[in-house]
Amino acid sequence: MPIITRRHLLAGSAATLAMPALGRAQGAKPRLTAISQWSAGSDGAAISALGKLFEEKGGVWQHNPVPGFTTEMMNKLRAQIMAGDPPAVSQLKGPEIAAWSKIAPTVDISPWVQAAGYADRAPAELAKSCQPAGKWIALPLQVYRINTLFMSTKGMARAGITKAPTSWAEFNDTAEKMKAAGMTPVANGGIRWDDGMKFEIALAGINPDIYRRAIMKLEPDALKSKEVLAAFEQLRKIANWMNPNIAAQSWPVNLPAFVKGDMGMVLMGGWAQGNLLKAGATDADFSSGPAPQENGPPCFDLNADCFIFWKPKGADLEAGQKLFADLVMQPSTQEMYSKITGSIPARTDVDLSTPGFTDGQRSSAQNLKDAIAKDRVVMSLGHNMAQPNGITAAMIDVLTEYVHNSAIPAAEGQKRLVAAVESAQ
Amino acid sequence: MPTALTLPAGERGAQKRAAGVWRDRFGRVLTELAIWLPLTITAGHVVVFTAWTTWVSFTASSLMPDYTWVGLKNYWAVTRTANFQIAYVNLFIYSTGFVLLTMAVGLLLAILLDQRVRGENVLRTIFLYPLAVSFVVTGTVWSWLLNPGLGLQKLVHDLGWQDFRFDWLVQSDKAIYAVILAGVWQGAGFAMALFLAGLRSVDKDLIKAAQIDGAGAWRTYRRVVLPTIWPIFVTVFVILLQSAIKAFDLVRALTGGGPGISSTLPTLVVYDFMFQRSELGRGSAAAVLLLLTLVVVLVPYALFMRWRRRRQERA
Repeated sequence: MPIITRRHLLAGSAATLAMPALGRAQGAKPRLTAISQWSAGSDGAAISALGKLFEEKGGVWQHNPVPGFTTEMMNKLRAQIMAGDPPAVSQLKGPEIAAWSKIAPTVDISPWVQAAGYADRAPAELAKSCQPAGKWIALPLQVYRINTLFMSTKGMARAGITKAPTSWAEFNDTAEKMKAAGMTPVANGGIRWDDGMKFEIALAGINPDIYRRAIMKLEPDALKSKEVLAAFEQLRKIANWMNPNIAAQSWPVNLPAFVKGDMGMVLMGGWAQGNLLKAGATDADFSSGPAPQENGPPCFDLNADCFIFWKPKGADLEAGQKLFADLVMQPSTQEMYSKITGSIPARTDVDLSTPGFTDGQRSSAQNLKDAIAKDRVVMSLGHNMAQPNGITAAMIDVLTEYVHNSAIPAAEGQKRLVAAVESAQ
Repeated sequence: MPTALTLPAGERGAQKRAAGVWRDRFGRVLTELAIWLPLTITAGHVVVFTAWTTWVSFTASSLMPDYTWVGLKNYWAVTRTANFQIAYVNLFIYSTGFVLLTMAVGLLLAILLDQRVRGENVLRTIFLYPLAVSFVVTGTVWSWLLNPGLGLQKLVHDLGWQDFRFDWLVQSDKAIYAVILAGVWQGAGFAMALFLAGLRSVDKDLIKAAQIDGAGAWRTYRRVVLPTIWPIFVTVFVILLQSAIKAFDLVRALTGGGPGISSTLPTLVVYDFMFQRSELGRGSAAAVLLLLTLVVVLVPYALFMRWRRRRQERA
């Protein structure tokens, strides 16, 4: 057993103190300070793997996760910006990229994006959100499809259903059958964004063009349209089929009952696959596909994670940003990342036929390609892709109240949504 | 100290005295420092940030502070939201229910314990225990107990009473009462402790006199004991009321403000605007309004305390 003397300790601490100086002395060694909300689970594993890759390429990886909602991460980001010390990159998404880029200087990474040929590989709507003033200041990392319907295999057998519904009429029919079989048709969560998401899936499934105009562009006539009213009516039906006892619990609470066949359907983003597998389900226990769609082929209700690049102080951070951008844009990095999180790569040219991807990921990637070709990609409301936080929160207030109070008629819900948008703007 | 040793005896004494004076002075300075430094920092903290928040509430701040003056616009916008209106109605229901019920249960427990029951210490500890549990834990535990599919309702169903309904937690119009229930469970022990201390402080002769006059237990409490400890009622009332106005963690853990936004409270509204929506101006306006609500409670209490002190001094 080695004996630790005071001298050893002194030498050790001196060496520790000298280490940062050593790092500085080497000068241009690429370094990256980053903040994100990804601390645990598959998200934490994926970002750690990305960090390891960064270190293998000779970089110094300094990632500070802020667990919780994206907004928690934003509070940290705000504090750092106010202190004049933003991280080199931070997670940020959708319209928040444009909003935040106005309050602190960002880096124009367009040359890197052009050099990598990335511009044409990312979905256009997503690319647009990364270049608010015409220049790339952020990079998309991964994409999730929101409008995904998961069917319980045992639940289908119990209610005598042979195929997943593809229209809302079929969906309602399926749910009625499940209810008649003594099941809870919809396994939902009791947290507000979950309610908002049910509405966006309903509206995008009824008419993606109206969704784009009403939710993404907030056009008053679209918000007052009969399609939005129909979405409220559909939302009421979905609400009546939900687990009435969910209270403030999160949606994965229902997954064991869903696997057992006591609950029939989950309307959730693609990440639910990861939760299901983690909850002990196997591929045979469930199937997934696009949520019911009317008025044409399935649209793609998109949620994506991006990194924004803040103006760095120091050559090492600049070099780190370049190295990081190159890494994130590489198909192999995106493939690695999506295999861990269950998302689909933001690059549409990544080959998903390799082992490690699931059929769910493959079909949703194909869905994205088709939706891009037919201009049927819309941005998620519940996941802050369609509107900045303030407007999203005001809309979701209305939706969650509507879901939990069956005394509100659909027309009244629509009226409140219009009023909420007006007062939040 | 060799130099001190070589000095003549008289001088040495003088030096010792000087050292004593210095030590005294140092001691006094240290005391002053120990009092004033933390006080200044704390007061500065409170005053400066309150002033800053108030200032921000009159500006166009959104993602970041932006000191363009907009007058009462934020107040106007916040008070018109459904969240804010629901929150203040809920605050009224919650604070009334929580304060009155907690006081009633606390007083009842205190009176029962006051009967010199066996194992009083154990019982007192048990009743006080909920206070040792944080509101977050209370909220989480009760969220499971009150969940109709998992907690009490299911238990009673499983015992055979199938029609039993206790689903306040998932009813929009009853969720706030579920919050009251959990709050009372947590606060009743505290009220009990204060009341019990009051009951024990009542002059025994007074009680004996009442008993000699032929008053029963109920009458003694109602006419003699409780009137003498009325200041305790005021204290308990104010402590509970201000904790009700500040309530945040309990409702956040228990209902999350739901179902929908039906059980939201003013503190949740502030948090929502500040940290979820990143609307600093509106959030600050909501915070200032919350502060005003607290002032409405605390200023009369402070005036009352002053009035009482004056009266006692005169007496």
